[in-house]
Amino acid sequence: MSVKLTVEQSVFLQGPVSINVATAGRDGWPCVCRAQGCMVAHDRKAVTVLLSARRGQAVLDALDGGGGIAVVFSRPATHATLQLKAGHAARTALKTVHRNCATLYARGLADELMMLGYGADLGQGLIAMMTATDLVALRFAPEIVFDQTPGPAAGRVLVAA
Amino acid sequence: MKLALEALRPCLDGAIPAVIATCAEDGTPNVAYASQVHYVDTEHVALSYQFFSKTRENVLAHPYAQAQVIEPGSFRHFRLRLHYLRTETTGPLFEYMKAQLAGIASQTGMDKVFVLRGADIYRVLDIEVVDPELPPAPALSDALLRLRRALELLDDSADLSELADGALVALSPNFCIHHALLLMLDEAGDALYTLASLGYANSGIGAEVKVGEGIIGVAAREKIPVRINYRTGDYSYQAAMRATRPGEARIPLPVLAEPHSQIAVPLIRGGQLVGVLYAESEHDTCFSHADEDALVVYARHLAMLISQVPCEPDDAAPARTETSARPSGVPLHIRHFPADHSIFIDNDYLIKGVAGSILWTLLNEHVATGRLDFCNRELRRDPRLQLPDFGHNLETRLLLLQRRLAERCSAIALEKTGRGRFHLVLERPLTLSPG
Repeated sequence: MSVKLTVEQSVFLQGPVSINVATAGRDGWPCVCRAQGCMVAHDRKAVTVLLSARRGQAVLDALDGGGGIAVVFSRPATHATLQLKAGHAARTALKTVHRNCATLYARGLADELMMLGYGADLGQGLIAMMTATDLVALRFAPEIVFDQTPGPAAGRVLVAA
Repeated sequence: MKLALEALRPCLDGAIPAVIATCAEDGTPNVAYASQVHYVDTEHVALSYQFFSKTRENVLAHPYAQAQVIEPGSFRHFRLRLHYLRTETTGPLFEYMKAQLAGIASQTGMDKVFVLRGADIYRVLDIEVVDPELPPAPALSDALLRLRRALELLDDSADLSELADGALVALSPNFCIHHALLLMLDEAGDALYTLASLGYANSGIGAEVKVGEGIIGVAAREKIPVRINYRTGDYSYQAAMRATRPGEARIPLPVLAEPHSQIAVPLIRGGQLVGVLYAESEHDTCFSHADEDALVVYARHLAMLISQVPCEPDDAAPARTETSARPSGVPLHIRHFPADHSIFIDNDYLIKGVAGSILWTLLNEHVATGRLDFCNRELRRDPRLQLPDFGHNLETRLLLLQRRLAERCSAIALEKTGRGRFHLVLERPLTLSPG
């Protein structure tokens, strides 16, 4: 059973946010990797995140093995942070729209970081890292959404199935 | 080749937040940002524990985690497999992380919200280089070479005065440090006093910091270097209180109003705290791990040099140099308060503690006998001073007194006449009043 994201949450997830995907393997080891873009379905009940197959191999293997998924989205300019979780995620066919999304995402996040004074080196490094040609699209239906903006309220459930 | 944890220290300065993945006992994953991933030693890192988060709940039940850290300047990612071991709630590591968290909290707009409740210690089991194809960040300038150059400059110091000033001046070309203080531990061991300063409108000579108070006091109490890379609004980590309570004899520290980077390094000699070297900057992330390492070595060397000063033998007694010209003009009114040995000259506060006691003794001796020439050895033995462990502090206190007089009272001066010998210069007559 999935939840329906709000319009604001959908906009946030597809904005200049840092995205990291975690899961746990069958051996009980948690693993994490950076994602390279996000698309929210029109009905706001499903989310697709884009990973580099090489950089996210351990995460992808664990998800293929049936592990649950947790994805954290954080906007550097505001520190606003959301975490979405689901019991499973599945690979989906990579389309042009996904590639375009990844390209725009890298530029948008790099611009955001440079605007914050992180410097051109970091922005260029980010774009270089995110020009992966081995993109994988992972689709999941969020079952619970947490507010994880730093502070004592971090971890508050915003919506749950 | 296995990557050493030390090589990742630039990733652990908080410039780019780390993320940490954990999982619950039922396998449900969790991923969250970590305020701090702190380098502990070659095998351990510590994460700040501020709130009882899902991350913490998970590692207490299932003590395995993976942290992803990022190298500033290159955006290379590294993943650390971690095994949670324990939580420390007191001690040097806790205090260091607490101080650093104050800076990180301010940077993230979380002043007064982030409070360190513990330092969660993890063993690093494995390090994965996620982006081997990306070039590393440009190398920083060689801290060892800069340290060597700074130490070479100390060799030329002829006496304690030159050493104290030279030790700060040497930091400027080699560490780009333009604001610094050298503070020495007082005889009671509960406060530090400023012996030399660099880059401030007011020298602050004689200004005190209580041990345990602010970044300088924490570095002194814990005998650890403390480095904060961002401006902190947390009052307790400002270098010291700036407000002077009405009626209190206090010399304000001349520190920056809003430093963006601060580092306090203890001067340690034979395991004992001697003083603290403090530096600050208007810029964020001014001091790296490598700078911290270099300054720790520098401070230890400086502590040794300062401690050696009392070991040098005094010159043989010179011919008396008293002048026959009697001071003239309106008498200076000198008041001494025995409770803390504070000295006021014409109602203006001058100094207190050991330095105040020395001046009071010298002036009384002069009034009683007419003497103007003195030697350090006799002061060490003078029963009127009644100060335990006095010999180790005498030279620094004499220098402190000499500098305060030079700044605050032109009618009294201490002029060096040889090693361990000095001449009291009086340009006006004295009226001495016990407080």
